[in-house]
Amino acid sequence: MSKDIFVFIEFKDGSIRKTSFELLSKGKELAEKLSSGLYAVMLGFDTKGLTEEIKPFADKIISVDEEALKEYRWDTYTDTMEYLIKKYSPYLVLGASTITGKDLFPRLAARLDAPIVSDAVGIEVSDGEIKIKKPIYGGKIISWVTTQNAPISIITFRPNSFSIEKRQINGEIIEERIEINMDSRVNAVKIDKGGSKKVDLQEADFIVCGGRGMKGPENFKVLEEIAEILGGRVGASRAVVDSKWRDYEDQIGKSGKTVSPKLYIGCGVSGALHHTMGMDTSKVIVAVNKDPNALIFQYADYGIVDDLFNILPALKEGLKSLKQEA
Amino acid sequence: MNILVFIKQVADTEARILIKGDNRSLEIENKYNLNFFDEFAVEEAIRLKGKVKDSKISVCTYGGKKAVEALRTAIAMGVDQAYLIDNTDLDTDDPLITAKILAGFAKKEGFDLILCGRQAIDDENGNIGAMVAELLKIPHVTAITKLEVADDKKIIVESDIEGGKETKEVQLPALLTTQKGINEPRVPLITGVMKAMKANIPVVDPASLGLSRELLSRDASKIKILSYETPKGRPAVKMIEGETPEEKVKKLIKLLREEAKVL
Repeated sequence: MSKDIFVFIEFKDGSIRKTSFELLSKGKELAEKLSSGLYAVMLGFDTKGLTEEIKPFADKIISVDEEALKEYRWDTYTDTMEYLIKKYSPYLVLGASTITGKDLFPRLAARLDAPIVSDAVGIEVSDGEIKIKKPIYGGKIISWVTTQNAPISIITFRPNSFSIEKRQINGEIIEERIEINMDSRVNAVKIDKGGSKKVDLQEADFIVCGGRGMKGPENFKVLEEIAEILGGRVGASRAVVDSKWRDYEDQIGKSGKTVSPKLYIGCGVSGALHHTMGMDTSKVIVAVNKDPNALIFQYADYGIVDDLFNILPALKEGLKSLKQEA
Repeated sequence: MNILVFIKQVADTEARILIKGDNRSLEIENKYNLNFFDEFAVEEAIRLKGKVKDSKISVCTYGGKKAVEALRTAIAMGVDQAYLIDNTDLDTDDPLITAKILAGFAKKEGFDLILCGRQAIDDENGNIGAMVAELLKIPHVTAITKLEVADDKKIIVESDIEGGKETKEVQLPALLTTQKGINEPRVPLITGVMKAMKANIPVVDPASLGLSRELLSRDASKIKILSYETPKGRPAVKMIEGETPEEKVKKLIKLLREEAKVL
């Protein structure tokens, strides 16, 4: 039986998302262990240029380039994925637990009567058995799960779960032409992509997060500046979003987004459990708070006890000169 | 309009959770709540009932006997009827089994609209909504932040998409999952709580919903938990000292470059 691996590719604002390269990197490693092939699966419209970008990373690239797939819809995407999965019979389908992934994959799993493990952060193969690592209860517990009684399994991963490995595979492109029908029960009437909002919060390598200690929305400017120097994003705690200083889409924590950047800098964030649940898988955590007893220091690698409004301008200048040196 | 709401009782964020000696099961402190995202679904159903004449709201959960508490919370908020689909000895780690049971219940009960939270905060899966919709062959919309009724056959919803929002017209029957921001869930009034205490909550046998016991059993599960572990703790925090903010920042940047290697 085939042990081939499908990776569902996502793109945004005309480029392949970072999380897709992460999945391709991990997917290739798994495919080598399973002596199988890695397929990048690309659904969209007018995606020729993007397909080229994927070639170094996959053994084969299945491209379905149809106008009906221009915008993501559960109906057209589920139908197309179902068709491809039935045709190629992969063993694993890997995707990202992005907004698209969370919408598509459960529906696809139900369609195929296949097991799904969502929002995982790791995967291993030993003796042909897959072991999937998934945090539950807000990261308080790590579960290791596997799938059984099924020829195909679907797994979605949090962005930033894997590192990107440069490869030179030069995969073969397979163009599939499929007749696609839109479900007439659903009609998009307005799509607002909100301008190009820089880096996606969940995909960002660097996050500068403001808490109640920031004192007001006007003080987030310096966080924006620091985030821009780092090429990252500003995040916010629940208190900040509830006070309407920042939009909900910036919220990190139990009721917001779960992030695992390379570097998280918490500024005036107290470290309440509902917040740390959303960021404690960050690789490196820095906390700046004037209260030496703030809970956030229990989660941090590095801490500074001082007034934010002294530290942040100094941090901005320090990072700026670092960047100029480089 | 016949509105059905799926809810889940989940461990409170603050509840202590311990791994038992076998590393395969958990001991959860007795602190449970109605799932955070499901509160928005209950609230939206109640608001909808206020807008659409002759509406009825039923809420149901697939859970243990204890889950009645979460159903009573929903009644106290204002839903009309609650059902417990009793999963004693049948609790599953496979969301598809839960989805099949809920879809079976929906078919039996009848509905125009199904609402549920975008995800449960315990297993953090977020699979049930779209799965049930697929099993019922109806449209679904994930993470909605606005809901309006166009006519008795059509609704207009706004939902999160990558980097923005999308507005869609959706024909009923449909399933929607609720996102924070759609409303402010009410705190039940004392009269609601009294009503909820007295409410009769029928217990439904999952095997009566068109699925055999074999299909519901642990052996049928396609998901298997291998083990649980506690996350690796971080080493103790390094507090950075210095005379001036500039000095502290300088030390921090040096550590981030040379020790943590993230800059």
